[in-house]
Amino acid sequence: MLVMGEVHTGLLQNSGEIPESSARDVLRLLAGETVRVSRRPIAYAVSPDRLTGVDCRLPAASQSRVRGVGTVVSRSSITGGRVVQGSSYAHVQRSGSDRRLAWSHYLARPGVIEVFGKARAEDLADGFTEDPPADCLDLGAISARFMDTVQASPLLDRRAPFKIARARLRWVARTGEPAIRLTLHSDQVRTLRIVHEGEFTPAVADLCEDLALHDWLLTALLVIIERARVGGRPGPEAAAKLAPAVDHLLHLWMPAARVDDALAPFWESLDRRPGFTRQWQSLVDRVRDQVAVNTLALLSATADAGRRRQ
Amino acid sequence: MLIFAISDKGGTGRSVTSTNIVYRHALQGNDVCYLDFDFGSPTAGAIFSVSSVARGTKTGGLHEYLRGDCAEPRRIDIWSESDREGLRIKPPGAGRLVLLPGTEGGGELATVDEEMISRCVQLFSRLEEEFDLCMVDVSAGRSFTAEMVLKATVRLPAIPFRWLVFHRWTRQHIIAADGLVTGADGLLDVGARVGHDADMLRDRIRFVRTAVLEPDAAELVGLRDEQRAWLSACDNDLRELARRHKVGRTAMLGKIPLDPVLQWREQLISDEDVLASKIANAETTAAFDDLAKKIVDDSAWEGL
Ligand SMILES: Nc1ncnc2c1ncn2[C@@H]1O[C@H](COP(=O)(O)OP(=O)(O)OP(=O)(O)O)[C@@H](O)[C@H]1O
Ligand SMILES: [Mg+2]
Repeated sequence: MLVMGEVHTGLLQNSGEIPESSARDVLRLLAGETVRVSRRPIAYAVSPDRLTGVDCRLPAASQSRVRGVGTVVSRSSITGGRVVQGSSYAHVQRSGSDRRLAWSHYLARPGVIEVFGKARAEDLADGFTEDPPADCLDLGAISARFMDTVQASPLLDRRAPFKIARARLRWVARTGEPAIRLTLHSDQVRTLRIVHEGEFTPAVADLCEDLALHDWLLTALLVIIERARVGGRPGPEAAAKLAPAVDHLLHLWMPAARVDDALAPFWESLDRRPGFTRQWQSLVDRVRDQVAVNTLALLSATADAGRRRQ
Repeated sequence: MLIFAISDKGGTGRSVTSTNIVYRHALQGNDVCYLDFDFGSPTAGAIFSVSSVARGTKTGGLHEYLRGDCAEPRRIDIWSESDREGLRIKPPGAGRLVLLPGTEGGGELATVDEEMISRCVQLFSRLEEEFDLCMVDVSAGRSFTAEMVLKATVRLPAIPFRWLVFHRWTRQHIIAADGLVTGADGLLDVGARVGHDADMLRDRIRFVRTAVLEPDAAELVGLRDEQRAWLSACDNDLRELARRHKVGRTAMLGKIPLDPVLQWREQLISDEDVLASKIANAETTAAFDDLAKKIVDDSAWEGL
């Protein structure tokens, strides 16, 4: 019917970025199994998939009671030794039965939630992308816990270079004529609707995680620039406030780094409108200019002082 | 940074003072949040002028969250949701100001279990990722709530925390404030029992005097000389008492003068209340401002 997922993205709670070996250890603690690592074009480490069993109501825009039973797939990842994600999704399918089966049945279908009765995919998609009511399936709560596990690792010093909120991206994917729509709801909540050709594959979840990562980077940079109040305070102070962005964020922008070729057009379409990379680039230029202007001012002040001394 | 606001007695001015401190801290450019852990009477909403949660929220309150009835507590952005027009615009350079209200009719915690402690740990560590400062109104006296946060902070060794003990400037209050810290089942006693180092914990506790009437205050100008002399003598006695109870100058982080506005109404005092409508005293906002800086100023927290 459809796949629904939620990705949470935030700053790793450590003073500096962590090397690959630490990322492995942090993510291994979570599961005790192999951590997958890739280095290019950016360091990326991801925990093995974990399953969470659920038997609960699914959110439906029509408020109709839809019960789903099955499992949710989740994982944690660290990108660039700096950004943490907790990600969960489940494939919602109609149950062949009209009552709950033995757990072995559901465990044999990892990441599938079976629904009873006559649920409509559109109704579920709408219900999920609006704010899901409290007593319904809450993928966000699961993803948040997968992030917590990483953040609570004793290997991290918890002295992050700046404070920043986590962002959540709720997504639904269906099969059909390709289309993508990203909506910003509040400072921290986004929804993404994807219609893709062919069967769902985990590559769609990878795409959503990559979009969530870049959306968070963009938001974080905007927040840091706003906090710096360029023009509203002395240049050196503003530049100092911008420094964490230069040190920790600017090099992480790597659009579609882990996106399957077949899905790359989705990234490209979002990059045309709203124009992710264009906005990112203009913010980066602004930060660099501000820091450069300030460095020049400092240099000329030092030179003046030197000349006066002679 | 986590700041826990506590007092021995009720009605000391703990909520009014701690909310005004976070408000000032936000105006100083920091992202702050206020957690209403006074489960018996969660009235922080009223002080922030958010009438829909004046006595706590019906859904998603902190009490519900700690009981495990909701995955995440509700947040209220004061800059956009306050009923007070003067608060509804975020001043340039100010940080976020977010209230996590208690549950309406939630009631005091009747016990603390393992699950609650881990939810509390989870809440603190998530908030710490995004806020410079989290102020927690722990309610009055020895409570399960105080025990819970003491236990939670043992498990978060890398997150800095501090305690503010609020008291009025009277004999009973001075003795009671000392008792709350050093007495049987007081903060140090319980803290040590649950795994804190008592000396380190001691260094993280400071006192705040509320609604203080200085003998030379403008309010007292009309008094007879005899009355003024008597007040002055009382003040000296209290100073001596405070010193003996280790609640004196060195352990005090600040004091807030008695303010006519706060005497009549529990509210935030804005600069407008001082400068435009002139209903509040400039000394009051200056004292809040000063405390808002001192709570994060390490030199004010060096070992006693
Ligand atoms: N500086 C001050 N000047 C005058 N009145 C004050 C001052 N600070 C607080 N008050 C008043 O004292 C009363 C008690 O304050 P508040 O409600 O903050 O106390 P509390 O310690 O939180 O009480 P409770 O334990 O009941 O929650 C309120 O009416 C408040 O407005
Ligand atoms: Mg109170």
